[in-house]
Amino acid sequence: MGQIKAGAIEKGMFILEKETPYLVTEREFVNPGKGSSFVRLKLKDQRNGASLKVTHKSQDNIDEIDVEEQSCQYLYTDGENFVFMNNETYEQFEVPADGLEDEKWFLIEGDAYRVVRWGEETLGVKVPPKMDMEVTEAEDGVKGDTVQGASKYVKVATGLTVKVPIFIKQGEFIRINTDTKEYQERINK
Amino acid sequence: MKIETIKQRKEILQTIRNFYDTLEYLEVETPLISPTLIPESNIEIFETTHIHPFKADKKGYLIPSPEVWLKQFISQNHINVYEISKCFRNSEQSGKHHNPEFSMIEYYTMGFSHLDTLNLTIQLLEYINSKLPYSKLSKKSEILSMNQAFINYAGFSLEDNYTIDKLHKRAVELGISISDDDDWETAFNRIFLDKVEPNLPNNVNLFLTDFPSNIKTLAKKIPNTPWAERWELYINGIECGNCYSEERDPQVVKDFFNEESEMKEKSRIQHKVDSNYYTIFKDFPKCSGGAIGLDRLIMGILGIDEIEGVILFPYRDNI
Repeated sequence: MGQIKAGAIEKGMFILEKETPYLVTEREFVNPGKGSSFVRLKLKDQRNGASLKVTHKSQDNIDEIDVEEQSCQYLYTDGENFVFMNNETYEQFEVPADGLEDEKWFLIEGDAYRVVRWGEETLGVKVPPKMDMEVTEAEDGVKGDTVQGASKYVKVATGLTVKVPIFIKQGEFIRINTDTKEYQERINK
Repeated sequence: MKIETIKQRKEILQTIRNFYDTLEYLEVETPLISPTLIPESNIEIFETTHIHPFKADKKGYLIPSPEVWLKQFISQNHINVYEISKCFRNSEQSGKHHNPEFSMIEYYTMGFSHLDTLNLTIQLLEYINSKLPYSKLSKKSEILSMNQAFINYAGFSLEDNYTIDKLHKRAVELGISISDDDDWETAFNRIFLDKVEPNLPNNVNLFLTDFPSNIKTLAKKIPNTPWAERWELYINGIECGNCYSEERDPQVVKDFFNEESEMKEKSRIQHKVDSNYYTIFKDFPKCSGGAIGLDRLIMGILGIDEIEGVILFPYRDNI
């Protein structure tokens, strides 16, 4: 763990604030007209999704934490926790579902993910920016509906509901932007 | 920056000029490079060198605001005046609301107090709204004192907690990280920037009045109170203007220069200070000066939330 001036903090770094590890999600400089410079940070506790806003003087020393990215296999979930295995050490560990509100829709059993770890703590699971997922529930397009751009909702294997063009059928694979959770294209597998 | 925005920016600047011209303020142009500056310990400046082939080179400094010149002008000419000027502040990191080089209007009215300038500024905002149908500025202006803002958003009276010890205690109670080495102004700013400023009403043009006189400026103090005759303007929650009833007691100005010069020694770039600057206040009219950051005002008028949306070729390091 090293120290960093608050003014040098960047979005995406992990810092220790009130003894809690946080991901920096936003950083904005504030210079009061007649004062010295400050930074406003928006932080997220990746373990439970809780967010925190803090203000620091640019000269304040902040603890930056050295996180490690490990390649891990996602094994299964019991609803409350998601269980992963480190591909190198075969160590198994649980990640509470609370911290995976967005990521959980893209976790497929048996697939490998980059997992951000700090000692025993898991500070995030990285999902690829785009993922191809199987449509598991889809109603047929309404007959005679040929309007271009017509859309409907389908469910993919993880339970995520996605808005797709009307021609998408159950059993097909679609590419999803994991950041926006939006449909991108149909994939021929 | 879109061409449409560039045209609107031109129209906004013209409208602002029309407002002051109609009221018969004289528009002036003062130098961007000055051999001396008013010492302001919290502002880092840009320096340059004027070279001479046969004599010693001379340092010059890019102005952080035209105040250093306009006050000299007013001491010689007791008339209402405004200037639209480029200003330069070093080491302010670029971001959504900052560009190291920016545009400012500074305007001085003879005989005015800061509250008269407040009313004049409301008239300016109303004038902009009446002349520019696309203006997104609120039609409503509100006045809030710093003390009331602390009561509303930090949960305590600043006046009743004015000592550094009490500010420390309140900060700790509010969960704000604070250091034992913090001076009064830093302790104040930690609470103000964390609890008060982000919660100020952002759907009106907000005039935050009566700043603590512990923040050293050239604003007149309000006798027997901890406040100064000073306000700041917030548009959409962003600070974009500052105004004083101007201090004109030569001794008080001299003391300010001495104190700030001493503090200024901590800055990266030192600049020269005119140790006789206070003498211009021996015949200085009662007046009030306001300054508005034009880029931020234009952001408010056009409903654009990043400074790079309203300036050509923004300087950007890491947003």
